[in-house]
Amino acid sequence: MRGGTGSAAAAGLLLVLAPAIAWFQARIDSALGPFRPQEEALYLWSGKHVKMIAPGFEGIAADLYWLRTVQYFGGQRTYSRDKNFALLYPLIDITTTLDPRLEIAYRYGAIFLSEGAPVGAGRPQEGIAILERGARALPGSWRLRQDLGFFHFIFLKDAEKASEVLMEASRIQGAAFWLKAMAADLLAKGGDREKSRRMWRQMYEQAEEGIMKANALDRLQVLDARDQADRLAAAGAEFERRLGRRPATLAELRASGLASDPIVDTTGVPFELDPSSGRVTISRRSSLWRPE
Amino acid sequence: MGRGRLSRLLAVAANTFRETVRERVLYNLVFFAILMTLSGLLLGQLSIRQDEKIIKDVGLAAMEFFGILIAIFIGVGLVSKEVERRSIYPLLAKPLGRGEFFLGKFLGLSFTLLVNVGLMTVGLGLTLLATGRPADPSLLDAVYPIYLGLLLVVALAMMFSSITSSALATVFTVGVVIAGRYSDVIRNMREVAPGAPAWLTQLLYYALPNFRHFDFKDRVAYGDPVPAAALAWVTLYGLSYVAFALVIGLLAFRARDFQ
Amino acid sequence: METPLVLKTVGLSKSYKVGHIWQRSRPALHGLDLEVRRGEVFGYLGPNGSGKTTTLKLLMGLLHPDAGEIQVLGRPWSDPAWRHRVGYLPEHPYLYDYLTAQEYLDYVGRLFGMTARDRAERGRALLERVALTRVAAVPMRRFSKGMLQRAGIAQALVNDPEFLVLDEPMSGLDPVGRRLVRDLILDLKAAGKTVLFSTHILPDAETLCDRVAVLRGGRLMDVGPLSQILKLDVSHMEVLAAGLDATSLEAPGLRLRQRLGERWRLEVEERSLGGVVRAVEAAGGRILSVQPIRQSLEDYFLKELGGEGSGPWGGED
Repeated sequence: MRGGTGSAAAAGLLLVLAPAIAWFQARIDSALGPFRPQEEALYLWSGKHVKMIAPGFEGIAADLYWLRTVQYFGGQRTYSRDKNFALLYPLIDITTTLDPRLEIAYRYGAIFLSEGAPVGAGRPQEGIAILERGARALPGSWRLRQDLGFFHFIFLKDAEKASEVLMEASRIQGAAFWLKAMAADLLAKGGDREKSRRMWRQMYEQAEEGIMKANALDRLQVLDARDQADRLAAAGAEFERRLGRRPATLAELRASGLASDPIVDTTGVPFELDPSSGRVTISRRSSLWRPE
Repeated sequence: MGRGRLSRLLAVAANTFRETVRERVLYNLVFFAILMTLSGLLLGQLSIRQDEKIIKDVGLAAMEFFGILIAIFIGVGLVSKEVERRSIYPLLAKPLGRGEFFLGKFLGLSFTLLVNVGLMTVGLGLTLLATGRPADPSLLDAVYPIYLGLLLVVALAMMFSSITSSALATVFTVGVVIAGRYSDVIRNMREVAPGAPAWLTQLLYYALPNFRHFDFKDRVAYGDPVPAAALAWVTLYGLSYVAFALVIGLLAFRARDFQ
Repeated sequence: METPLVLKTVGLSKSYKVGHIWQRSRPALHGLDLEVRRGEVFGYLGPNGSGKTTTLKLLMGLLHPDAGEIQVLGRPWSDPAWRHRVGYLPEHPYLYDYLTAQEYLDYVGRLFGMTARDRAERGRALLERVALTRVAAVPMRRFSKGMLQRAGIAQALVNDPEFLVLDEPMSGLDPVGRRLVRDLILDLKAAGKTVLFSTHILPDAETLCDRVAVLRGGRLMDVGPLSQILKLDVSHMEVLAAGLDATSLEAPGLRLRQRLGERWRLEVEERSLGGVVRAVEAAGGRILSVQPIRQSLEDYFLKELGGEGSGPWGGED
């Protein structure tokens, strides 16, 4: 069974098969979705069990799970709606069980568990739980405790608890110098938005390039937009004081010259003015809109 | 295919099956049986849904694991052992083409694996019944793609062993099988490492055999339905990749001088 | 279809690549032109490394030739049909550990497309022929080298071939086995078959072969009846005698006397044999054996071919 024609036929067959294989692969991906692979997380039902199966290879296993987590939830998929957040907690759980010192996993997991849809799972209690685990696993990490304090304030609106945690954090060696001041500050009434801003500012600066930084930036932009809206509302009040009536539209307000801010937010979507109450809010159509 | 050719193919296949049986390959079933028995006995304390799931998980994973071991180690030896020991010499002088020999070996080991997987499936079903759970026929939706995956591993093992020494072939096959299980990580590499060249990750993704496509264990263990269309595409993918690897292996085998 | 030539090679050449990184080419066979005629027993002689096994492997398709043509039974080499009519025994055959001889012959028979009944019958007959009937159901991993050799011969005969190719068929056999193979070859010849076998043992070639080819360093040195190639004239007679003290034995034509313990070895010119025998008996001794000594194949190689018998490259046979 030799012969030139046999080899030519074989080569021809290979040329046909190669693209066919690639095409079939693409068909499978489209039938089942390219991000199926999280199944293993469900399949290996908890961190403890995964750890039992990979003795001696926990480090690599942790890395692989971490990679999967980031790929699944991050990047261009940050705003997509088909993410299955049921997988996030188990993934983070497995990753941190396999490698309890992977600090980034705790912080990442906490953010995306706590943030509301579509960015996150909207379950801040779980996010806080993750941070607490991380704090226990890494007692020397002031950053984890810092996040924990922030989260108590931002997501659970518990200023007292937040202050307490930040105080603890400030006592850890190497902690940022401003933690103590911030802790004390939190106990003061009012100025919540400013406090939030400082927290998100810190988180923005501490994050590496990537979606955590992007999320913090996003949050800051929301706060800025709200400030902007408030300034427009104040301008509206001034308008009323001078002209005896509320402005009918923001354009009118702008035209009056009393508003120094633009009437569109940083994404270019105009704010909304409620003429009866004078409140200016971020438009629902803007990506900066957040429920609150 | 001429009748002579087919009967020679089957003769080689049958002999290969006989060889694997007599070399006690099927003893791995003993380990499997032990494993299944232990799982059945020890998991009684867990909740109902959980122990059924765990038995299925363990059974399917063991089926795949033992299957892969057999596919790699026996697969690499199928051709290389015959060449090293020179038992192939008298055979190739007969009206037996090298292609018939090669494919016959593949068929023989495939049949061995079929028997192995089949018996394990029965064992799994029995374990479920013995613990009071239903022997779920949808398990076959996971078993079938596992089997396809094993065929691909055999084809790859044979391909590598035609090209290089049996030691290297084993290493390469193991490497490709592992890499293939993580093809999703390769594909999505850009999410974590934006600097990675897209053409490279895409190329690797499509070139490496994607063993995740054969993995329906989780779905079945959870009772999720497996779409028939997906199985159809997986079959086409698996068989064409098997053909691809076998053709390459065959070309290398035909060109060899047996010094 | 009857053809006068069962094997014809023209310009058959093969070299091996040596070395891992920088490959040199080591020639093993240079332009071999060989012809084997129907019905003859053809000996393929040569020292180790001369290319005998290479030739036979090329013939069977285990190696790919660099150049040259092969025709078997009048057909081009690529025609698979001739393989049904040819049998092959490789050097140092290794068969399957886990099969019995019976099963192995059955397997081979299947490759020829024989029916189950034919396979069973033929298997039985062949095992008897090679004296393996007693161990027919024993796994071949328990076989001695000689038994494996005989089993190898059996597999070469499964298809009742017209043309049998044997690579060193006597190797590993005890005298009984060698006698068996010798008789087999003679039987085959009587049945009109053609046998080509390679060997480096002269007496075998001498007894069995009609013609021989002598190979050295991958080249054909000579082809023809053995008597023409080697000076098979007797060079002297060797006489073993006992019961006398031959130290002082005198006789014309007695070239050499050598004491071997109780016995004496005497080298005698052929024509003077009678006189020496009488002299021994007259001295009260008795003749144990008389043997003609001829030029051996080793002598031939050393003398005619010059040197150790292997080419400057040496090795691969």
